[in-house]
Amino acid sequence: MIRNMRGIYFLVFGVLFMSGLRAQEKFLTKEGYVSFFSHSIVEDIKAENNQVLSVIDTITGKIAIQLLMRSFIFKKALMQEHFNEHYVESYKYPKATFSGKIMNFDQLDNRNIETEIVGTLTVHGVEKEISTKVDVAIKEDEITLTGNFKVDVADFNIKIPALVANNIAKTIKVTFELHHKPYK
Amino acid sequence: MRIKKFKVVLGFFSFTILIGLIVATFYYNKPAVDVKDSEAMYFLTAQDLIDEFLEDEMGTSRKYSENIIQVKGKIYNISSNKGNSIITLKDPNAESSVICHMLPGENKRILQFKKGQSIYIKGICTGYLLDVIMVRCTLDD
Repeated sequence: MIRNMRGIYFLVFGVLFMSGLRAQEKFLTKEGYVSFFSHSIVEDIKAENNQVLSVIDTITGKIAIQLLMRSFIFKKALMQEHFNEHYVESYKYPKATFSGKIMNFDQLDNRNIETEIVGTLTVHGVEKEISTKVDVAIKEDEITLTGNFKVDVADFNIKIPALVANNIAKTIKVTFELHHKPYK
Repeated sequence: MRIKKFKVVLGFFSFTILIGLIVATFYYNKPAVDVKDSEAMYFLTAQDLIDEFLEDEMGTSRKYSENIIQVKGKIYNISSNKGNSIITLKDPNAESSVICHMLPGENKRILQFKKGQSIYIKGICTGYLLDVIMVRCTLDD
């Protein structure tokens, strides 16, 4: 766990500070949006996080994303409590991370295009390789990434008690919207 | 006599079940903690909070998570995201900051503050990324 966290810090700081400090090469947001949605026959559950850290190296197309599990806000306080204490165990695994690459980033030039993003998603201490489609909008002073993908709760060793198994979907939809600005 | 006793027992059980349902419904729908009207559990400066995280991130995260804390610091930046104010507290030469995501009702009060002013902010600390993150924040006296 500690080794993983060090690895992620190395990646984030690496994307930020290595290969020189030319501002226009690094784009960053500390206010990215990530939400997840669970639909079941009993209820729909949605949680939103507006404090997502994301860094893009525009030379390599590498991207590093970090978010705090406790920053997810639920409609019901009890859901938020159960999510942090029993399901994702935020006291043990406070962050979710993604490190990967935006494919063909060097060919995306000041336009909107759909491409693929591939990398490693780490949630609840479990790493999983994922790839998903992403809409990339590039302007001079902003790079926006939007998209969504689905994850299986079981893939991340998240145990849902039998009593509430029908309340939570086995597959969760994750939506993201990240507006990166030049890093200064 | 037996019927009367049966009615009393039935009434008692019905009442107990009703109370149970009311308590369960209340518990299920309990609102999020009201930061504005709650007392802070910890009081510290923004830089002290950052230093604690830099020294022991996991331990500090456990210590402050889900607790209301009050931080004092100098305003480095005021911005907004989706209509809600964000106040960044940071010493001029520091690397990290405390980013406070304010409650929607605070927007008007924040207008009176400027960069460089010292303020007290109360909120819930959710952890550390490159900065300390606080949510559901409110200005404190």
